[in-house]
Amino acid sequence: MKAKLIRCLVLALIIAGCFACLPPAAQARLPYHTYTYDYWGDVVYSPAAYLPNRLITGEDLGIGTLRTPTDLFVGNDGKVYILDAGNGRIVVTNDRWELVRVIDGFENNGVPDRFNNPSGIFVTEEGHIYVADTDNGRLVELNPEGKFVREIGPPQSDIIKDDFIYQPTKLVVDRAGRIYVVARHVNQGLIELMPDGTFRSYMGASRVALNMVDYFWKMIATREQRERMALFVPTEYNNLCIDEEGFIFVTTSALNEWDIQRTIDSRSEDDRYAPIRRLNLMGNDILRRRGYFPPVGDILIARRGSVRGPSMLVDVAVDDTVRVYSVLDRRRGRIFTYDSEGNLLYVFGAIGERFGNFRNPVALDYLDDKILVLDYETGTVTEFTVTAYGRLIRDAVHLHFIGKYDEAAACWEEVLLQNANYEMAYVGIGRAFLRQRKFEEAMKNFKLGNHRKYYSRAFYYHRREVIGRNFGLIVGVLAACFLALYIIIRVREKSQKSAYGEYQSEVREI
Amino acid sequence: MKYLDSLKFAFYVIFHPFKGFWDLKHEKRGSMSAALTFLVLLIITYILRRQYTGFIFNENDPKELNVFIEIISVLLPFFLWATANWCITTLMDGEGSYRDIVIATAYALVPLILINLPLVPFSRIINMEEGAFYYFFASVSVLWTGALILAGASVTHQYTMTKTVFTSILSVVGMGLMIFIGLLVFSLLQQMISFVYTIYREIAFRL
Repeated sequence: MKAKLIRCLVLALIIAGCFACLPPAAQARLPYHTYTYDYWGDVVYSPAAYLPNRLITGEDLGIGTLRTPTDLFVGNDGKVYILDAGNGRIVVTNDRWELVRVIDGFENNGVPDRFNNPSGIFVTEEGHIYVADTDNGRLVELNPEGKFVREIGPPQSDIIKDDFIYQPTKLVVDRAGRIYVVARHVNQGLIELMPDGTFRSYMGASRVALNMVDYFWKMIATREQRERMALFVPTEYNNLCIDEEGFIFVTTSALNEWDIQRTIDSRSEDDRYAPIRRLNLMGNDILRRRGYFPPVGDILIARRGSVRGPSMLVDVAVDDTVRVYSVLDRRRGRIFTYDSEGNLLYVFGAIGERFGNFRNPVALDYLDDKILVLDYETGTVTEFTVTAYGRLIRDAVHLHFIGKYDEAAACWEEVLLQNANYEMAYVGIGRAFLRQRKFEEAMKNFKLGNHRKYYSRAFYYHRREVIGRNFGLIVGVLAACFLALYIIIRVREKSQKSAYGEYQSEVREI
Repeated sequence: MKYLDSLKFAFYVIFHPFKGFWDLKHEKRGSMSAALTFLVLLIITYILRRQYTGFIFNENDPKELNVFIEIISVLLPFFLWATANWCITTLMDGEGSYRDIVIATAYALVPLILINLPLVPFSRIINMEEGAFYYFFASVSVLWTGALILAGASVTHQYTMTKTVFTSILSVVGMGLMIFIGLLVFSLLQQMISFVYTIYREIAFRL
């Protein structure tokens, strides 16, 4: 009996030991890492900022499988619009994922009409639905009930070539009703249409960066060779999104890998090789790039392996409540979130087969503080909810943005309890100390946060304080030094004169 | 006391290069031990600079500080230069021996030590806006040393300035060649070793 008991105990111990060897449950559950990059460009893993909460399929909504959905939009009232391109329909749900309506066709001047491979959707504040009906070469406006309002055909203008095939892919409408369209094979920027749908101009083309080497080859090439070479043209945009202030975020994935690498290496704030831009009404880039690296997605670019090359950014979404924006990397299924200054807050997500992974993510948007990601291949939407850690960061960024630095610092302190390697938190705390004129603490935190510019500013005031406090002592020491120097020089002059005389006479003797 | 005198003579050389380098060689005012001292001091300077330069000006990742690499990054270019310069100048009627070249070049490095060493504490009491001074002095030290190396070579080999510049450029090319050959030898050795090792493993598996 006793031996049996002991045997049981030993067995139980062994089993417990096996479980203890396994990684903690929380890590095992998540199918991706959450991380940031530090000042040196190294990956710093962090607690999860977002967790997968729900997977929404067409079956869940009771409308059959979504086939190759291409775009997702969250309206102001919290309604979610999914553009189910393969089925040529729009699926509208409310924020609790209850089906509101399916729009799978409309009556165009008495004739039944359908979408043909649409790829972009936008909903105005009044609830009017705009669809970029790509293969029909038109934009379609529907009213909130899904009734046809109007269609906008190809733009007409002298500067558009006659053989231009109009394939609009993404669009936004600003408060004044102007429509901005991303179309395939257009590298002059966005197509800007007046509220009545007439062509106004191209806007926001990226500045063309001239590469001296290419320029040299082009100079010595023959006409035929030149025609075969790539042209110096601006990059083509692939997606866009409009924020509360009416500025348009655009993304591109057409940049050269080495140009991106150079931008990262030089920590350049230049907008020429920027995969993310924020355009004002003039079409100029006004995105702030004050982070340690410009917002380009991943800083460490894999050169080998099956998945190589820089992040392929295909969508951008702005969270207007806390002024952060997220971009989606289609290549690796990662979501990068930046604050309005361009600091990288957190990265998460991965390609895979598990719950919380994507196979081919194409669109993301914010539903309050939740992130929705649409998968083209599986026809699903993954809903991510923010964790306590992510919420602290969001709160801190927001408080900082509205100028409540001390409250922000309190939030950053709590962030540090969960992730002591978070440089931004130290900088945030340092800035609060700087405002409280506690320069020494500020310096300490800026150093931990690796922020040389702010450190220098804090140091300047700290030095002034120290000098002010010890002014008499410093002047005294300096005066003593000068006196000592003067005396030494006088003494040496005398002895050197004689020594040099000896040296000269030696030289003469030889 | 010859050693101390030869150390002190560096101050004379850096301010009066032409006469200084002449006496260094012909009057035997310099010494090999002093030259090696300057080299060691330069290595120490570079290590101190990397480790203790103020946070604002220190762009080095503390994780990647490696004393051995610091030592190599001073010694390797120095002896590469001396060897390449000796090779070139022997062919071009230079009068300096290898020993002369090493001594002259080492004495020419003194401004690097003299300026960069005080810059380390200095960098800790200035802020970013005053960094212009820091960078100014740092570049002065490099230019000064460069000029001294040229003057030293010209005096040691009894060359005109044009010929000195010409041989110096050739020496730099020679340094590149030597690195290239060195890498070649290393990679060939590596290939050979891995070849022999593969054969050994093949045999070991089959036996």
